[in-house]
Amino acid sequence: MAEKPMWEQIGAGFVQHYYQQFDSNRGLLADLYTEASCLTWEGQGFQGKNAIMEKLTNLPFQKIQHSITAQDHQPTPDSCVISMVVGQLKVDDDPVMGFHQLFLLKNIDNKWICSNDMFRLALHNFG
Amino acid sequence: MAEKPIWEQIGAGFVQHYYQQFDSNRVLLADLYTEASCLTWEGLGFQGKNAIMEKLTNLPFQKIQHSITAQDHQPTPDSCVISMVVDDDPVMGFHQLFLLKNIDNKWICSNDMFRLALHNFG
Repeated sequence: MAEKPMWEQIGAGFVQHYYQQFDSNRGLLADLYTEASCLTWEGQGFQGKNAIMEKLTNLPFQKIQHSITAQDHQPTPDSCVISMVVGQLKVDDDPVMGFHQLFLLKNIDNKWICSNDMFRLALHNFG
Repeated sequence: MAEKPIWEQIGAGFVQHYYQQFDSNRVLLADLYTEASCLTWEGLGFQGKNAIMEKLTNLPFQKIQHSITAQDHQPTPDSCVISMVVDDDPVMGFHQLFLLKNIDNKWICSNDMFRLALHNFG
């Protein structure tokens, strides 16, 4: 089977790592952001690693589990990787909800970090 | 009321123009892409303005109307604008991403990804 394009490997690898980390110990996501990173979470903006991590670690749930329905990755003109994820998540004992997320990944000092991150819940419940 | 940040004006302006154009005469979307643009449509990749326009103009419907549930915009480190658009209608809902780049004083779409929301149901 043909090997996947490099940007797809980078994007898919990041996405897998991100959600594994988010679901097990989201405090460790700090490594993926820098001072220049932007997060938009449900329409609210957060600038920089500290503000982003404060938002993510203070989300009001104990347990969360993400599952990815589909993911797409592309290379950008400025040598970044852009990824779009659609999936479902389950928080504590709440019903399953859909979500949409986008990542723009930038290589800094040989490490792929997240410069832009946008998250939205899907308004309709499923099943 | 405070003025919106420039990237939000650019992103929102592009999004409005894109869907107006798409819904009325999508052939005219050609202006928004270049040879370097990438489109991923329902998981299939298209590279460059010609391939992208061939895909968009040959989509198998007569009429279409987009409605947007939410849109978010951010500036990127390389002076681009990144936009995410969501429509959560259970039947016709979709999810789309645009990366906008300023070339010769014009904002064009360098990256475009589209997925129908029905993938996330049932």
